Amino acid sequence: MQTIDTKQLEKILYHVEKPGRYVGGEHNQILKDWDAIRTHVCLVFPDIYDIGQPNLGLAILYDILNRQPDIMAERAFTPWHDLEAQLREHQIPLFSLETKHPLAQFDIIGLSLPYESLYTNALNVLDLAGIPLLASERTNNDPLIIAGGQACFNPEPMADFIDAFVVGEGEEVTLELIRAFEELKQSGSDRKGLLQGLSRIPGVYVPSLYSVHYAQDGTIISILPSDPSVPAIVTKRIVSKLPPHPTRLVVPNVETVHDRLSIEIMRGCTRGCRFCHAGVVNRPVRERTVEEILQVIEDGLAATGYEDVGLLSLSSSDHTQILELTRLVYEKFHDRKVFVSLPSLRIASFSVELMDELRDLRPGGGFTLAPEAASPRLQAIINKPLDNEVFEETVRTVFEHGWLTLKLYYMIGLPGETMEDVQAILDAGKRVLAIGRQLRGNRVKVHLSVGNFIPKPHTPFQWYPLNSTDELQTKLDMLKEGTRRTGLKLSYNIPDSTLLEAWLSRGDRRLGQVILRAWQLGAKFDAWGENENQPIWRQAFAEIGLDPDFYAYRERALDETLPWDHIHTGVTKVFLLRDLEWSKQGKTRKDCREQCFACGILDSFGKLRPVSPLVYWGCP
Amino acid sequence: MTDQPLRIRMTYAKLGNLRFVGHLDLQRLFERALRRTNLPLRYTQGFNPHLRINLASALPLGFIGEAEQMDFWLDQEVSLDEVSNRLRASLPVELVLQELQVIDNQQPSLQGSLLSSEYEILLPADLDIQTLQEKVDKLLALDALPVQRRKKTVDLKNLILQMEFFKSEPQSLLKVAMKSTPEENGRPDELLELLGLDPADCQVTRTKLNFSEE
Repeated sequence: MQTIDTKQLEKILYHVEKPGRYVGGEHNQILKDWDAIRTHVCLVFPDIYDIGQPNLGLAILYDILNRQPDIMAERAFTPWHDLEAQLREHQIPLFSLETKHPLAQFDIIGLSLPYESLYTNALNVLDLAGIPLLASERTNNDPLIIAGGQACFNPEPMADFIDAFVVGEGEEVTLELIRAFEELKQSGSDRKGLLQGLSRIPGVYVPSLYSVHYAQDGTIISILPSDPSVPAIVTKRIVSKLPPHPTRLVVPNVETVHDRLSIEIMRGCTRGCRFCHAGVVNRPVRERTVEEILQVIEDGLAATGYEDVGLLSLSSSDHTQILELTRLVYEKFHDRKVFVSLPSLRIASFSVELMDELRDLRPGGGFTLAPEAASPRLQAIINKPLDNEVFEETVRTVFEHGWLTLKLYYMIGLPGETMEDVQAILDAGKRVLAIGRQLRGNRVKVHLSVGNFIPKPHTPFQWYPLNSTDELQTKLDMLKEGTRRTGLKLSYNIPDSTLLEAWLSRGDRRLGQVILRAWQLGAKFDAWGENENQPIWRQAFAEIGLDPDFYAYRERALDETLPWDHIHTGVTKVFLLRDLEWSKQGKTRKDCREQCFACGILDSFGKLRPVSPLVYWGCP
Repeated sequence: MTDQPLRIRMTYAKLGNLRFVGHLDLQRLFERALRRTNLPLRYTQGFNPHLRINLASALPLGFIGEAEQMDFWLDQEVSLDEVSNRLRASLPVELVLQELQVIDNQQPSLQGSLLSSEYEILLPADLDIQTLQEKVDKLLALDALPVQRRKKTVDLKNLILQMEFFKSEPQSLLKVAMKSTPEENGRPDELLELLGLDPADCQVTRTKLNFSEE
């Protein structure tokens, strides 16, 4: 098979910014002999290299697939505007970094879709590769386009463009999918037969095999498979135990956003915050043992030469052996001239102790806490209760233990929020600043970082509407006014910037036409800047004849068929409804390691639960 | 830690895809490659210790380097064979280790003693050689070759130490030596532009770095 004209590419690279993004050649990249390999997979993260390459999901699949001697997995990213213009001008198709083969020559393209603002970039990538955008227009000669990632728990808006989605954790199902693909190809299946075959793999969703029926008012009547062999409900995949962590990570040659050795120490979270999409879709909790994590750090540092280690999870203080882990990390690595960061810590003095254990291994900078809501009433609504004494004690400990900057994350636009709740954010900020100044003087900085809440699919809040732009603006104005001349630093997103994410995350299959039209009108890199693309999106909605407010601002009926109802996260709708009810009553739930609330995970996946006590699932 | 660290000078080639990796990125790349060797590397003192390395000269993006140089320091004696084996295993394939030498700690830095660089420029195949020869001759005959660099004008003539044109099929070769001091740094891409050539169409290789004898 032919690679692109690399001589021509080299000339072009003289005229683009940061050309090192486009050439591969990094330490630990895997080069295989194209002609000696049976199945060629290109893993595409549809953002620029600088953002996509550090993604751990990409690294995990790159590692798993390339361990197979008869599969090669290469990488591609979205080119920045300058290279895109050159590629289009010289009619060079988008190519893989490793062997510089055009994407269209791969058997399978695996798209990472962790967030919705990448959708237009995904179309752009397919277009730059010369692959038909619509799944319905692809033939046997085109690559199979699969997609996975956290955004794919509502696959519907991208249904027109993706041949098959992988729902849930990709470690096992991706390989099953590729093997099934090989068999079906070998048996001479046509595209339809191939897709039907793939749809029988648990966790694989083939959208073209389902039809959606809409009522007059635009809501969904039903989402049904077109033939009985296709599952009516697609349940996400999980791994019963976290597979070995990759350590031979590709070390980027150019600077990237998270230029470090990222290690997932735990997956899932037992806290049950009601706004949190990740908290629902990543259940149950699975931990790595301290021994394993220490070995991964050791091997990872040896294989990469990194100077920074990030120990990642949704709630690191909840790892059952976290204190021992931080102690041993210090003991083992304190003379290695590395920094170890431990983000996502719970609000408790214990979290400060954990950071203290790391001593000089911890990177400079501030301490971050995420109360999300400031008033006890709203904290109960979102199920993130925070005792004020505990909060102030934690804050005091942070300042006493040497930090001078404290960053506090809050959200506005939460269900049931009033202006008093917004005022409570200001009051909390001022109290924290006063505590800090009393302890450490005027060098103390307190930073309020305020995000706009989006009701996400599969959460107990999925039925709520998004706050209107006016509501959000009023709340922001109060925060801006209230932080003036207080010494508090405020950062926020302009209200409109949340809309695109709201439309796309809460949308149905009809949004495919809007995404396509927006891309045709020039939308791409939608996460960049302050939503400059919004007029384009509004125009696309208007031309297609859909109302964006229908998706963002409509309160959904509890008995409505939601666009993602046929995608099962393991957590049942019955549980979500009950949790919504509890929220309205201001009732909180304990950490579900202490008491099972029957969310459904054990019903769906209990059989996978390892009997060995060595592997921890949070469920009691 | 000894007070007399072992100073090692590495000569290396920067080839292929790595031509498109800039100077700051290359420095970081070397730091990580050195850390992967697990050698007893010398770090700078202070609150935020950094690996002590010193690259002779930034190579412009897109140029091949055949004999680039860098110094790094070890806290303990290690045989050069051992250093060489570990480095070969940890460098990306397109950074090729060519030579290692132990250097006296008293010697001046690479950056401080670099005088000039030699380049070989492979010219595009479709050039009219006669016209180019005339252009080269004309350039060499001029008293001054002013080029614009940001807001100041630089006389390229002062920076060119030697220039020779070799006619050959299918591609002719231009060999040029230029000053490479912090104050006066010649850039072959500027020379190519004066000749009416797009540097992207030429393949520039830095073949040698010349240092002051001390």
